[in-house]
Amino acid sequence: MKYDAVVIGGGHNGLTAAAYLGKAGRKVLVLERRHVLGGAAVTEEVFPGFKFSVCSYVVSLLRPEIIRELDLPRHGLEILPLDGTFTPMPNGDYLWRVNDHAKTRREIARHSKLDAEAYDEYGKAMVEMARFVKPILNMTPPDPLSRNPRELAKFWFLVRRFSRLADADRYNQLQLMTMSAVDFLDQWFETDVLKATMAASGIIGTFLGIRSPGTAYVLLHHYMGEIDGAFRSWGFARGGTGAISNAIADAAREAGVETRTRAGVARIAVKSGQATGVVLDNGDEVTADVVLSSVDPHQTFLRFIDDRELPGDFRDEVRRYKFRGSSAKVNLALDALPHFTCLPGDGPHLRGALSISPSVDYMERAYDEAKYGDFSRRPYIDMVIPSLTDPSVAPPGKHVLSCFVQYAPYKLAHGTWDERREAFGDTVIDTLATYAPNIRDIILHRQVVTPLDLEREWGLTEGNIFQGELTPEQLFFARPVPGWAQYTTPIRNLWMCGSATHPGGGIMGAPGRNAALRILKRDRG
Amino acid sequence: MRNDVVVIGAGHNGLVAAAFLAKAGLKTLVLERTERVGGGVRMSEIAPGFRCPTLAHTAAVDPTIVGALALERHGLEILQSDAHVCAPTVDGRALTLWRDPARALREIDAFSSRDGARYEPFLESVRRISSVLAAALESLPPSLDAPTAGDLVAGLKLGRAFRALGKADAHRLMRWIAMPVADLVGDWFESEPLRATVAAGGVLGSFLGPRSAGSSLVLLLLGAIHAHPIANGWWPRGGVGAVSDALAEAARQAGAIIRTDAAVERIEIADDAASAVTLASGETIAAGATLSCVDPKRTLLKMVDPIHLAPEFVRRVQNIRARGTLAKVNYAVSELPDVANQLPAALSGRIRLAPDVDAIERAFDAAKYGRFSDEPWIELTIPSVTDPSLAPDGAHVVSAYVQYAPYALRGTTWDDERQRLGEVATRTIGRYAPEFESTIIARQVITPLDLERTYGFTGGHIFHGELALDQLVMGRPVLGWTRYATPIRNLYLCGAGTHCGLNGGSGARVAKEILRDLKRT
Repeated sequence: MKYDAVVIGGGHNGLTAAAYLGKAGRKVLVLERRHVLGGAAVTEEVFPGFKFSVCSYVVSLLRPEIIRELDLPRHGLEILPLDGTFTPMPNGDYLWRVNDHAKTRREIARHSKLDAEAYDEYGKAMVEMARFVKPILNMTPPDPLSRNPRELAKFWFLVRRFSRLADADRYNQLQLMTMSAVDFLDQWFETDVLKATMAASGIIGTFLGIRSPGTAYVLLHHYMGEIDGAFRSWGFARGGTGAISNAIADAAREAGVETRTRAGVARIAVKSGQATGVVLDNGDEVTADVVLSSVDPHQTFLRFIDDRELPGDFRDEVRRYKFRGSSAKVNLALDALPHFTCLPGDGPHLRGALSISPSVDYMERAYDEAKYGDFSRRPYIDMVIPSLTDPSVAPPGKHVLSCFVQYAPYKLAHGTWDERREAFGDTVIDTLATYAPNIRDIILHRQVVTPLDLEREWGLTEGNIFQGELTPEQLFFARPVPGWAQYTTPIRNLWMCGSATHPGGGIMGAPGRNAALRILKRDRG
Repeated sequence: MRNDVVVIGAGHNGLVAAAFLAKAGLKTLVLERTERVGGGVRMSEIAPGFRCPTLAHTAAVDPTIVGALALERHGLEILQSDAHVCAPTVDGRALTLWRDPARALREIDAFSSRDGARYEPFLESVRRISSVLAAALESLPPSLDAPTAGDLVAGLKLGRAFRALGKADAHRLMRWIAMPVADLVGDWFESEPLRATVAAGGVLGSFLGPRSAGSSLVLLLLGAIHAHPIANGWWPRGGVGAVSDALAEAARQAGAIIRTDAAVERIEIADDAASAVTLASGETIAAGATLSCVDPKRTLLKMVDPIHLAPEFVRRVQNIRARGTLAKVNYAVSELPDVANQLPAALSGRIRLAPDVDAIERAFDAAKYGRFSDEPWIELTIPSVTDPSLAPDGAHVVSAYVQYAPYALRGTTWDDERQRLGEVATRTIGRYAPEFESTIIARQVITPLDLERTYGFTGGHIFHGELALDQLVMGRPVLGWTRYATPIRNLYLCGAGTHCGLNGGSGARVAKEILRDLKRT
């Protein structure tokens, strides 16, 4: 059986690429190693009645083009709003920002009147920045060494775009692209807890602290989320994050794409510098004109492909590509809702994100411990309780609490993750208990997903949730490696389409779409 | 008689500018607040017969300036140190990177033959990449709103230089610019003494740890001056201060007048143009043009009444990050420090005291929380090894950069911590040179606060502002004002806080700008 294209990995990017190719009339097969599609965008019933978004847990960056072009709502995608971010503080106070701008302004004014004013200005400035960056997400990064006029035109496009910005926007853009999140926010705000909570988005999935240059850029992502046209809102998928993958898979199948689970790839077949298909773990061979790999470059090039097929300097670059997973998940099945000391009760604050990020120093200390090979004793935790918004994910009256925890470095100086899994889980619970003491009494089940689990079970090398750090030296025309940022590889007919390519991780789908569109464009000549 | 140009501050950039302006026939007056010229590049007698670099312990001036001002004729004599760097380990070994490459390689091989094989290719790569950076620094930052033909030519030139690097180095440049220096040395080397020694160059004077993104850029920038990431800086006869003396001499010979003990307090503005300066003594000196070589924050926020500036501009100047992290401790000692029992020749260059990259990072950790490190990263030089005239027979002067000493301490002040800082430095040096403490004759401690109060570096920052991507080239000193002019007519800036200010380059460039503007009017 011969396919036009075979896609390695049934995560949201692999499925997106497949759907676009299928819609263009290609005969496509998607191969997923696990028993379920979705990759890290997956919902699993880990404990009876409790459905966890095991890895990725919120959505904001899913490209609106994809939602539209694949008609995902018709395929079952429904995004429910996630309103606000609640940050409890050790002094008994809290910071609670919500989508209602006036309300947030009043709340920030409680901490600082100046900051409340700056918040308006900041929001406006960031929206401008997000507008500037948006088209870049859908762009195939230019190759700075190419003499091809088309590549040069892309640079010209960027320079023109930048020089057309108003002076103040240029200033902000230059700073956002290069500064640390804390330094950037220091210029706008004085409230420590506000800066800490906002800066937290800059370090997710990286092995940097919020004071490290290069972390400011991700602040923009909060202003890029578009759901039903509402700029900058975050949400859940009804049925958990896996519902996004399922909707894309459904769209793909409708377009004739075949999907196969429990079909792990053993290697990519290469003949005279050209990919011809894949060989599965069970020995089956699948031939295809084009092979797309949505798994990370480490897996693709160092595991699936024979050394001799790749140029040595390319292999060196791939080996240098940094993963360094720094985060873990703790998923809890709860008998009741957690109650925060600083704002007791089941109020609406529990429906948004709950952020343990009380101060800039707290965040930075969490990083310091991880730098030297330990998990943070007091980690940054970003939590959601999706069962409040979507009761279908837990039995009646029960709840699901999903905790994203950082820093949990893949490489531990002492012990292994298997040995320290429960100690890590306890650390997270202890941390939560300092803000919501009833947490210990309401836990029915606990699932700890360590960086090692992410690698073993989900194939994310070193447990990096973005298939490689989202740091400036690994972005845009350097993602995954300089010279190979256009979804192509040194092997003809082998393409990359996962989070390790521009514009990177998060449930965006852009890499999958961009890669598929490039393949189709090439075929048209 | 009115001065055509009044230059505020007799640091190396100011002296370079004064020399070029005077050579062009302008009546030029240099006003220096302290008792001698040199800014950060000066000597002090810390004990009778002991002359030590007060602040910077190496310096370098753009070679084209050295030639144009004939600095050698004005007394500058560059000596060669036998070693670039010596990195002692706590267990009594040492890695010495000799000037002689073969000898350096043998030392590296003793730690790791893999590193030995990679050292030269690394230097080569840095040299090529630095030359592209140097080319980027060479031209004036482009104007975005009204690009000139010159901007276009400069852009094309730079593009060509970049392509000429070839694939491997071009790709490296793309990655290195934003990379933590810890990762850079980790990619290349495996032995910790070599890693730490190279990485240290990426954090010098900066509020960065080796794991902070952007630290590789500092290494490359400092390296761009000499196309070498480690051996940047000279060892002039008479100490680094001789560089400043030669520059001052060149300026004087060209006709400039230099007044020391003349602190400028205010820049007077009439009709939106700088017209005069007023000294602390109350004296007012009229000037055709005013050129400030003190840092941009001090110039534009303290010397100029902000009422003359647009709020947005003031905000940008306020936002310039200048958080000093470096303190200076100078010693007069009765004998050569017994650093890892090394020969004097091994101690003729920089001596970098850091057992590994993590030790530097840990030293930085303290600074983030407003404390200074108990185990700081220290770079020593012993200039009297190369030039014995700096100390009495057999005795030496030891100059120590102590990092991290954050300008903003929490819960205490630098005046209260001065003694402790000196003790911490002495103890740390003692870990590598056990007899060091018993040989001390005199000690001088210069805290970041002293750098600000006595020498005028805002925030105690030795580069007049962080060398960060957003504060370089198009952003130095602030976006939109990168060509030495300011929103105030006839007021110009140069110095380390402006484009190309690390090696006197800004002095030469601003002189050109002033001469051109004067011709126009």
